[in-house]
Amino acid sequence: MKDLFRGELVRLTLVEPEVGAKASALWQRDSEFHRLLDNSPARLDSEKKIKEWFEKDAEKGFKPERYGFSVRTLAEDKYIGFLGLWVDLIHREAWVGLGIGEREFWSKGYGTDMMKLCQQYVFRELSLERLSLGLFEYNPRALRSYEKCGFRLEGRTRMDTMREGNRVDSLWMGILREEWLQLQEGDGK
Amino acid sequence: MKDILTGKFVRLSAFDPEEMSKAWPRWYQNSEYFRMLFSSARPLHSPKAELKWMEEEVAEMSPANYSFAIRTLAEDKLIGELGLEVVDWSGREAFVGLGIGETEYWSKGYGTDIMNVLLRFAFTEVNLKRVSLGVFEYNPRAIRSYEKAGFRHEGRLRNLLRREGRRWDNLFMGILREEWLELNHN
Repeated sequence: MKDLFRGELVRLTLVEPEVGAKASALWQRDSEFHRLLDNSPARLDSEKKIKEWFEKDAEKGFKPERYGFSVRTLAEDKYIGFLGLWVDLIHREAWVGLGIGEREFWSKGYGTDMMKLCQQYVFRELSLERLSLGLFEYNPRALRSYEKCGFRLEGRTRMDTMREGNRVDSLWMGILREEWLQLQEGDGK
Repeated sequence: MKDILTGKFVRLSAFDPEEMSKAWPRWYQNSEYFRMLFSSARPLHSPKAELKWMEEEVAEMSPANYSFAIRTLAEDKLIGELGLEVVDWSGREAFVGLGIGETEYWSKGYGTDIMNVLLRFAFTEVNLKRVSLGVFEYNPRAIRSYEKAGFRHEGRLRNLLRREGRRWDNLFMGILREEWLELNHN
């Protein structure tokens, strides 16, 4: 049986407070990365502080509505990003957020590979009915990647974000369980 | 100068935990009301428990959070609740949620009046650039009311909710400051 956590280029692994904090402190200095990820004002935190957050989060233990992963490359076993899932247990749906902090792994299919693992986990392991996500209109690379994974554009909140003095839109996408299953058949899997 | 918190049928008044903690258990006993406001499964709470929660919440009032009680102008009766939460200061965007707990005031234009007052507050008092909301597919009365107040449809998350043995969409809507000004320039 295929390993749920292993894709073509990356694998999902545990959250690692030590490694994660070191990497996040560096990635925070890359404001382009931050803008692709979040609409909050960019800020800097110490490695120590970030590590404490990671540890505090880990102390809470397993919660069926929250899943967090580190992402490592298969080739170099390098920590390049993260992926988080927030599940609504009542309505059986989830939201995903992910990021690749290491720039040399942008635009090479790593994000798409991460998302495919995430979808597999959401639909095959958690048996959810729907997966949702949000992104900013100035991130066409992410949009293409999500489209490749079968997400459909479902909405656009006009000018809800202010960036570089301009007002920009947020986009919202979703994929249903049936749509994902259909794509798997198409892949001959 | 016109009182910005007063509309045609209602006014926004202070959110009084004493009063609201007695109203909530009664309003939320009606599961239809609850389902129109929330997707969560809300347990019923006693007035005492509600009061404790509200005192903690209301004590945390900040420039980002506005809670109001809604009263009729004719009878000065408490009929509903309203919250405005600024979610993004750099984008100057807020989310609004409102409910009329007293069911005899449904479908009579009170909701639209509340929203009109709220939008005036949001755009002229808090100086926001955008107000957003989410509404469930099974609440067409609210959708019509928001359209009347000037909100535009911006998206539809398909099959987000499971209720009554089927799945329903979650709609979201928004209005920009310029759009509101154009609708209300006189």
